[in-house]
Amino acid sequence: MTASTAPAPQPTARETAISLRGVSIGYDRPIIEGIDLDILKGEILFIGGGSGCGKTTLLSCLTALRKPLAGSITIDGVDIVDSDDDAIRSVRRRFGVMYQLGALFGGKTLLENVRLPLEEFTDLPDDVMDDVARAKLGLVGLGAHALKQPSEISGGMQKRAAIARALALDPPIIFLDEPSAGLDPVTSADLDAMIEALNRMLGTTFVIISHELASIFAIGQRFAMLDGARKKLVALGAPAELRDHSDDEWVRRFLNRVPTQES
Amino acid sequence: MPRRSKGADAPIAVSGEAGSVRIAPEGAIDAESIGRVRETLERKLPSRLAGAVTLDLSKVTHLDASGVSVAVFLFRLAKGAGVGFEITGADKDRRLLIDLALRGQEPQEATKAPGFVREVGAASIAIRDGVVDLVRFIGEIALVCVHLVRYPQHLRVGDTIAAMARHGSDAIAVVGLLGFLIGAIIAFQTFDPMAKYGAKLQVADVVAVSVVRELGPLITAIILAGRSGSAFAAEIGTMKVTQELDALRTFGIDPVRFLVIPRLIATTIVTPMLAIWASILGVAGGYMILAPEGFTLAQYADEVRQAVTVGGFVQGLVKAAVFAILVASIGCLSGLRTGQGPGAVGLSTTRAVVAGIVAIILADSVLGVFFYTLGI
Repeated sequence: MTASTAPAPQPTARETAISLRGVSIGYDRPIIEGIDLDILKGEILFIGGGSGCGKTTLLSCLTALRKPLAGSITIDGVDIVDSDDDAIRSVRRRFGVMYQLGALFGGKTLLENVRLPLEEFTDLPDDVMDDVARAKLGLVGLGAHALKQPSEISGGMQKRAAIARALALDPPIIFLDEPSAGLDPVTSADLDAMIEALNRMLGTTFVIISHELASIFAIGQRFAMLDGARKKLVALGAPAELRDHSDDEWVRRFLNRVPTQES
Repeated sequence: MPRRSKGADAPIAVSGEAGSVRIAPEGAIDAESIGRVRETLERKLPSRLAGAVTLDLSKVTHLDASGVSVAVFLFRLAKGAGVGFEITGADKDRRLLIDLALRGQEPQEATKAPGFVREVGAASIAIRDGVVDLVRFIGEIALVCVHLVRYPQHLRVGDTIAAMARHGSDAIAVVGLLGFLIGAIIAFQTFDPMAKYGAKLQVADVVAVSVVRELGPLITAIILAGRSGSAFAAEIGTMKVTQELDALRTFGIDPVRFLVIPRLIATTIVTPMLAIWASILGVAGGYMILAPEGFTLAQYADEVRQAVTVGGFVQGLVKAAVFAILVASIGCLSGLRTGQGPGAVGLSTTRAVVAGIVAIILADSVLGVFFYTLGI
């Protein structure tokens, strides 16, 4: 953690769900270097930054889809950078992921998409799986669309269905990549309310990649900001604190939505 | 994670009064216990609901998103029976989660399976629509061709040459190999029967006539359908799914002129050439079988020259060109008619190959009769 002087909340009593130490991400060259970050159990953490700053790449590393260029990532005590495939597979059951474009399986209805993890990892009877899947679809406002194909619904609805699929197994950690982008304000607010309710009731940890300032300020408990130009994590703290008191101009501009020419 | 728990009943009090049912579970209703809770509930519920259903959550200590499915189950059951459904004893968060989960959860009407007659009718209409669509598309291509005759500068020459390289010269090896093998196989299979009549050298006639008139163009066209027809459908289909075709149209660019014509012209030019190449190698393949029998190349070549008439050669070329037009049109049309979703491109590709090969065989039959009638 660097650069932010804002008094970031340090609830040290809470356990760490995900721990990043000296993580560098990128492809041929690093995009962001030396990330030290503890994501706490039961928090709603937003990760933001300018376009192309590596947010989605970081998500790929956190979900063990690609390895960071350097550093270690630990989820529930398991180092996902150096572990073997079996260990990573068992860690993956502890989180759900919603990808930026939904990544629903074409040719399957929304109900079948949400049922799939239940079919693979539980021995529930068919009708119970159906009701669990219907409940998850209902939570994201798609209860009436359970039997539709992904191609029959809008992009925003596909994202919501993907969130329902991420919730299928009630994992303790949920990663959401741009969940509100493309949603109307009411649906977006409903989604925020659902995330907050699940977080409060069940202690689910949410790691959300997002630019949506309204959501960040409404439900974000902490905000981590990446800066591609400086290649580092430049801020970590309560969103309102960072907006009002961060000594980093880029962070204040970002969170106050100030255009470049006015800075 | 949700699982079916074997063993004792979940603690659920089900009481009823004047037809109404009150369900009061205790403890946790979550991913761990949901299987057991549902099992118990289904056993304790009356077989027919005559009055309102109330779910009392006041004694539930833990409720997660999987646990909420109990409310969804009871709600749908109550709706199906035409009775009311109520939740009591839920705090604000539980109420919010349940309200969200129940939105739009009406009992869905089961879709009626269509009858046999209806299915046959729908399939017939689909075939008719497909043929009409193809004819309309060929008409569209013809109109663009007329436009290009008037304004030849509108032809995308670079794209056409690139398509010729990709679908022509890149296919030389595979077409040549198959042509050679086909010629050899024909010679091999006909050699013994011909030898019985003392007509070993006439195997050259059989090879030459069948390869030049029929199998050279046919093999080339089938390779074209698998190699190029599928590629056209996949390329253009992907462009459709990613809205690139819409982008072209909004620029005022006609996708038929931009995408279809270069591919169509390229394949119509290169396919007859490839067919000639396949025929030459097919004849060579035939000689490979006859050479060990003591026939010289001069004898073989002389026999082939006598067997292959100008008419037969032209017949092969015309067939190849017609096959190319069909394969390219069907491939491009499949791409342009690609639906939505990740499976759509795959479907288009399959359709392009299957419909392309069927069209080739049908056209071959028609052309065979046509040339026979003309006496060629």
